[in-house]
Formats: sequence, C-alpha cells, structure tokens
Amino acid sequence: METEIKPTKSVYTQTLTAGLWRENPTFRLLLGMCPTLAVTAALKPALTMSVAVIFVLVCSNLVISFIRRQLKPHLRILMFTLTIATFVTIADLFLKAYYPTMSEELGPYVPLIIVNCIIMCRAEACASKNGLVISFLDAISMGAGFTVSLCVLGVIREILSTGAVWEIPVMPKSFVPWTALRMPVGAFITLGLLIALMNLISKRKTATAA
Amino acid sequence: MSKIKYFIKQSWLLIASSLFFGLILAVANAAWAPIMEANKIKKLDGLMAVLLPEAKKFQLDEQIRLESPSGQTRTIDLYKAISDTGQNIGWAFNASGFGFADKIELVVAVDTDFKKIAGYEVLSSNETPGFGDQIKLPWYLSQFAGASVGQLQLERTGNHDKIDDQIIAITGATISSQAVVNIINNTLLPLKTQMQQKGLLTGGN
Repeated sequence: METEIKPTKSVYTQTLTAGLWRENPTFRLLLGMCPTLAVTAALKPALTMSVAVIFVLVCSNLVISFIRRQLKPHLRILMFTLTIATFVTIADLFLKAYYPTMSEELGPYVPLIIVNCIIMCRAEACASKNGLVISFLDAISMGAGFTVSLCVLGVIREILSTGAVWEIPVMPKSFVPWTALRMPVGAFITLGLLIALMNLISKRKTATAA
Repeated sequence: MSKIKYFIKQSWLLIASSLFFGLILAVANAAWAPIMEANKIKKLDGLMAVLLPEAKKFQLDEQIRLESPSGQTRTIDLYKAISDTGQNIGWAFNASGFGFADKIELVVAVDTDFKKIAGYEVLSSNETPGFGDQIKLPWYLSQFAGASVGQLQLERTGNHDKIDDQIIAITGATISSQAVVNIINNTLLPLKTQMQQKGLLTGGN
C-alpha cells in the first residue's frame, strides 16, 4: 500500500495550478484527445463538453478518494470505470433532458467521456492515493486546464471557420470562412500548432531561467 | 464456504457500488425520462409544423412496418395532420437510411392524397459540415416540396428551382444527396401501398 502524501498549503496550491500549465491535460499530457478533436468546431459545444468533464471528474475523484482504502488493487480499474460510467450517464441524461440540441450536437462524445483518459488518469494517479480535499482540487485544476484548452481551440476554429464567436459574428463581412477548420483536419492542425506554441513558450522560459 | 467468504471479501465493494450506482441511475432516469420524451415529441411536432403549417395538430395515426431493400424491417410512425376545422390536410412520418457518415433520419410530409411531397426536414444526421450537411439547407430541401410521389432521380447539374422529379445534387456531396433521394424513394411508395391496403387513403391511386 502506498503512503499518502501529507498535504501542506503549498501542495494545495501546486495541485490547484498544475492543470493550467505545468500538467495541462490537453497540451502537456496529451490526454483526452478524442473530445478535444471532435467537439471543438465551435465554442458552445467545447464549453458544454468541458462542464460535463468537470462534473464527472469532480464526482469520480471524490467517490474514488472516499473508497480508496477499500479498493482491491486488481479490481480498481473496474471500480474506476463503474464510478466514471455512472456520472457520465447522469451527465448524458441531464443534457438530453435540459439541453437536447446540444446533446444531439455532441452526439456520442458525451457517453465517450467514460473512456476519457484524463478522468481515468486522475482516478489512478491522484484520487486513489489522496484525501478528499486534494482529489477535489486536482479535479478542479485538471478540469479547468481541459476547459481552457478546449475553449481556446473552439474559439480559434469557430472564428476562422464561421467568422463568429458563440454564434455572434465578429469578423468583417469581407471575411472568407475557412470551412476546412470545422472539419477534423482543422482540429488536428489547430491542436498541433497550439502544442508547438506551448512547447516554444516553455523552451524560452527554461532558457531564460538558465 | 471459505471460497464464498473469499469471493465476498474481494468483491463486496464492487457489488455494493453496482447496486448503489444502479439505484442512482434509475432515479435519474425516472426523473428525466418524461422530459426527454417531451423533447422528442416537441422536436418532431416542430418539424412537422414547418412542413405542414396549416395543421393545428398532428395525431399519431398508425405504426406501419415496412421492409427496406436490404431486407430489414423498419417501423414508420404515421401522423395525420389535422386543420382548425378538423379536416385531414396531409400526412407526416419519419424515414431513415444511411448517408455518407452515419444514419440520416428525416421527417417527410405529403398531401392528403399522397400524391405530392410537402417537403422534408432533417431529424438527425451527421453528414460532413459544409458539404453533406447542406441537405438541411433551404435550396436543397425546397426541391422536394411539391414534387410528385414516385421515383425521384438525382442529377449532377440542372436548375434546382424547378420542381419536378429531378433533384439536383449538392456539389461535393453526391452520396449525401443520393441518400436523401433513396430514403424518400424507398419509403414513400411502399408506405402509400400499405396505406391504400389499410384503407387510409380514400382518393385515387
């Protein structure tokens, strides 16, 4: 049995900020690529997916952290999947009931949150080894990092492919939309360029520090 | 006995969690199922109202089973469009088939005698943005409104403002265009035949 980290104030702060840059799930850890590529054609679906992921991440991290001492090592993945699947189904049913248009737009990608590596990874790496507070902060941090990443991708792709943000036109009438950015190719190119930008900034930061 | 004890010791958490999570899901489903069903009906009603604007209400008349060309049986929900005065002013029904990327589900409306198409609307589809998803755009949809119930033909070029049995394909999305034509062709005539056999259509052939 692994020993639990005794949290201090700096551990809380570090956990809370990790997801935003240092361990950003999308641009640093390259986790959860399926929704990142599939639902970022516009800001609205990107934000809805992010909120759904935060809900599932927070709930599953809390439940797994709560039962961590009872988890049998060989059954832990099964327990993670069961917990995650429950909260994903709740999120899916909620969207179907109260946001049916968005639910249709997101299609199978909401149920696919079950296999989102970010949630599984946080359950394994954090929630199963830490207390409720750390697990909660970790979920918020990773969820926020995922949200920011998806929204940045969504905004860039929506502006360039439709000339609008949140369906509100922002580009001049003479702007010719780049339809390709709404398609999967646009998702891959935008994601690739943003990862390259993140790496460039990190390298420059390291060089300046050295 | 010791085996059972060992089994329970190992898996009690999994069994208890399954029961607990199952209960939560059952409650969530029971709470939201009526809202989800109402959403579905609202969407269908909204689309049918676009196709037959004179109708005051749509009444589920019959569920008709049709055999598709691939041999599969599908159920068509047939709705009767009723006007303010209680007259039948047309029919609306769901129709589906495979498109380029995924299944395309349509709502199709026809006139009272099942002779002319009033139009179609897309209930759900996952066609390529910018290409195949033009099946939802007015210029493509309008080619069907007023066309005769029969075998529609897809043409690559032509005048899409002219209403006849020739449907002009979407450039770069021939498969999606053909899919819509096929869905309508494969549904309308078999449905009309069944409705005639059931005595639901009173006038002509």
